[in-house]
Amino acid sequence: MSMIVRLAWRNVRRRPAQAALLLLMLCLSTTLVSLGLAINETGREPWNRLHNSVNGFHVQAYAAYHTREQLELPRLPQPDPANAASADDQLAELAAQPGVVAVGGPWPILFAEGRVGGVALPIWVRVLDSQPAAVGRPLVISGRWLDDGDGVVVLEDGLASLLNVAPGDEVTLAGQRLRVRGSAMTTSIRRYPGEFPATIWTNRATAAHLRASGAVPLGAALELRLARPEDAAAFVAARAPTYPDTGSLMAWERARSRANGMEPYTLVLGIIATLLAGLTVATAAVLVTGRMAAQSRQIGALKAIGVTPRQALAVVLVEYLAVATVAGAIGIISGTLLSPLIGRESPILYGAPAAPPITWPRAVTAFAVAMAVVVVGSVHPALRGVRQSTVRALASGARPPRRASRAARFAAIAGIPLPVVLGLRSAMRRPGRTLANAIGLALGVAMVIVGLGASKATRDFLASQAMDEEEAVVRAANAMLIDQAVAILFIGAGLLVALAAVNAMIVAIFAARDAARNHAILRAVGATPRQTVISFVVAQLGAGLLGCAVGIPLGVLLYNSTVTGSAKDLPTMALPALTYVVVGLAVPLLYLMAIIVPAARLARRPAAGALTYE
Amino acid sequence: MTNFVLQAKGLSRHYPGDGVPVRAVDTVDMAVETGEAVSVMGPSGCGKSTLLHLLGGLERPTSGEVWLGGQRVDRLSETGWARLRRRSVGFVFQAFHLVDELSAVENVELPALLIGASRKAARGRALGLLERLGVAGRAGHLPDRLSGGERQRVALARALVNEPLLVLADEPTGNLDSGATAQILRLFAGVHEAGQTLLLVTHDPRVAATADRLLTMRDGSIVEDVRLEGGLSRQALLAQVAGWEP
Amino acid sequence: MREAMLALLAKEPAHGYELRQRLTRALGPIGEVLNPGQIYITLSRLEKAGLVRSDQVAQAAAPDKKVYEVTPQGREQVASWLLDVSWPKVAPAEFHLKLVAAAVTGLADPIALIDAQRRDLLRRLRDVQRLAQAAPSDDDAVLILEGTALRLQADVRWLEACERRWTTRRPQ
Repeated sequence: MSMIVRLAWRNVRRRPAQAALLLLMLCLSTTLVSLGLAINETGREPWNRLHNSVNGFHVQAYAAYHTREQLELPRLPQPDPANAASADDQLAELAAQPGVVAVGGPWPILFAEGRVGGVALPIWVRVLDSQPAAVGRPLVISGRWLDDGDGVVVLEDGLASLLNVAPGDEVTLAGQRLRVRGSAMTTSIRRYPGEFPATIWTNRATAAHLRASGAVPLGAALELRLARPEDAAAFVAARAPTYPDTGSLMAWERARSRANGMEPYTLVLGIIATLLAGLTVATAAVLVTGRMAAQSRQIGALKAIGVTPRQALAVVLVEYLAVATVAGAIGIISGTLLSPLIGRESPILYGAPAAPPITWPRAVTAFAVAMAVVVVGSVHPALRGVRQSTVRALASGARPPRRASRAARFAAIAGIPLPVVLGLRSAMRRPGRTLANAIGLALGVAMVIVGLGASKATRDFLASQAMDEEEAVVRAANAMLIDQAVAILFIGAGLLVALAAVNAMIVAIFAARDAARNHAILRAVGATPRQTVISFVVAQLGAGLLGCAVGIPLGVLLYNSTVTGSAKDLPTMALPALTYVVVGLAVPLLYLMAIIVPAARLARRPAAGALTYE
Repeated sequence: MTNFVLQAKGLSRHYPGDGVPVRAVDTVDMAVETGEAVSVMGPSGCGKSTLLHLLGGLERPTSGEVWLGGQRVDRLSETGWARLRRRSVGFVFQAFHLVDELSAVENVELPALLIGASRKAARGRALGLLERLGVAGRAGHLPDRLSGGERQRVALARALVNEPLLVLADEPTGNLDSGATAQILRLFAGVHEAGQTLLLVTHDPRVAATADRLLTMRDGSIVEDVRLEGGLSRQALLAQVAGWEP
Repeated sequence: MREAMLALLAKEPAHGYELRQRLTRALGPIGEVLNPGQIYITLSRLEKAGLVRSDQVAQAAAPDKKVYEVTPQGREQVASWLLDVSWPKVAPAEFHLKLVAAAVTGLADPIALIDAQRRDLLRRLRDVQRLAQAAPSDDDAVLILEGTALRLQADVRWLEACERRWTTRRPQ
């Protein structure tokens, strides 16, 4: 109803700062979510371009010559000819299927120990012709393609650039010295070090020599083009159940999504986005609760003239849902636009990352996140505000307190100073807000812990001895990637901490507003301003300490379950105890600084103002 | 059997106190006929405001029945009461309770919009009422720009916009000075003369005296129910008034 | 004052001094305004009007004193005074005496008297207000009527206060 919208708009105009803050936090959340989803697809365009220029496959198949047991042996034996023949037959059968328009291969694949650019590493050798294949012609990046000569190889471009090997250099494979003709790239295999082990192409003549000197035939690869690219998924799905699991059968879409290599970023952004969403929920709850208190008279007046509780709820929620919609839109756009900036350092992309087009799933997710945050944060306090008896809403000042808690009475008996007791009592009267405050802080602290843990773990890992030369090289290549990921983690932590501080300030401001009247009364009967301020600070500090106490173990838990889950080499959280102590002390201190302004204002406010009837 | 606009039968509202329950309204029976103006007086704490809230659905009775326009209403849900109040009950409060974010005319047209009138019709009716009550010139102002008397007149207009069965007023002159009080009482009298049924809760004898009938409450019960009509003849009254001046 | 004295005598005959004491007790500090001369003058006027009768009573160790007693006529006068709801100009002292007299003589229930008076005042108030509202608002008559209404309002409020006080005095 237009009246509901009109009222909601007027309410926003009256208190624009709150709506603006919520908008900001929601925008950050949706941007991060959208960014996290988009960077998975930044590699799409470059991959597509390469795929087209190599006349790429629709379906890719690989058949292994060894049995599963043989593959698990420490030293790979020569394959059993019968197995090899059956694998070849399988590929031939695939090539003969209806719907297949062009066939590339089958190309044999050998395994050999090699030495490239001074580094010893295992190599998969793919055997191609000098003639361009019907499907999947690798794109030459430097030098030129294979010729029919003996002892020539072409390196996969990722390998070549990582180990600084140029055309004309020498490499060793299975003890044979071979000359590098050039380097090339293709979508059939992921760029090194995305694909392990590295790939080198050679011709049939050279391959025969390699086999003679000990290279082991692994299997064969086949690439197919169908009448229409869209048929690939169905083609694969029809044959996958019967395809042996020692090999692989893949459609081009799947190969593309595997080639991205953005996992570390997605993980990091995912963590930050989740915690930020949680923080936004807490802030939204606090804002809405504060708003309900201020707006309860309006709601009472509306209900008295016949507005149903549901309509009154709508007036409140429309405002927040509108903010959520705007935030969703902003988030999806900015997240998509920012995505190419992340992951530029990744060595395994096929070219400069490009912002992917906005798709329905991503847009819906961004909006859904914004809506969910708003709904979870605001529905409960809004419902409570609207369900309140009309009479009480009309007469409202501060919410009447619940019965004094037993713990507070205890404290009083135990001889704790009066201001502290009063502070604790008032904190316990508003458990919802105290909880929201604590949650906000806990999330910020957790993020800091995760950041510190990840930073230490990666530094330790990088400083530790590499298992072999290859790993050292790969590590160096990925160092930039990891550094950037950790940097993002710290930026995220900084953001969360800043917003948690803002959250704390808002809670303190609302609390000060509520407390003003009681404090004025206390002062009128003789309490000093200092006592009232102390009681106020104690009340808020309780939440701060709780937040810290929960945030540290939460951070550890989060770290152990996510970061180490995906990066197999990183150990579980290994921060020294001192770090925890420092965090445990620093956070309450910072928290105190955040709430000092509202607390001081409370003290300075003259008692008379708060006592007069509004 | 006259047509009762409002009837209460055995109406009670108890609050659990510390141990002993507080009987804010204790088994009240009363009825208001169409076109009657009834006032309810009593000392503070006698339960008159609670009675008003019960009759208007702002609070739920602990026991008893409320009948409005021939329909039993005490068991209605919040939503049901809201719908009923739109059409049939106008409220005027001591603290006015206008929506601060809406202008005067927007406040008045709100109940009309709620029952589904078109924007044009609602606006027209609202302006007409504001005119009738003498505040048409302030139609576009927000409540904080209006004086107390003006605000109460806007509130009265809002209560009347849907031609309700009944107007319930709770200390309507409580926040007004004597000049504004006189004005509002004049308006109430005018509204009553035009046929509107009124129930006024007050501790101000002047407000009570605008009614035809007076109910006195004490400790949650009605202890007196008298008609205030039929005083002296006009001549005798004027003579008395004149004779009182030194 | 006349009627109040009559009523106080109606309970029990008394001589001048006693009567003065009763009055002072009923009026509190205000009673100090009464001077004995006024009392005796009023008493003799009442006697002349046939509402009161005096007797000489012999005393043992003092000169004879004159004891006044209410006649049946006087009693009637008291009853109609108690039930009369017309509102005199200076209300509080007189009305209070009426209530005291009613309580003391048992001739009427003070609460009932208050209620009746209040009803009457409210009716008058209603009539006055209707008169005022019938006239155009800038009429001078309205101003006079407004003044009357405000006084009636004040008087009703005072009656409510009386009721609160007299209710607590009432035996439960």
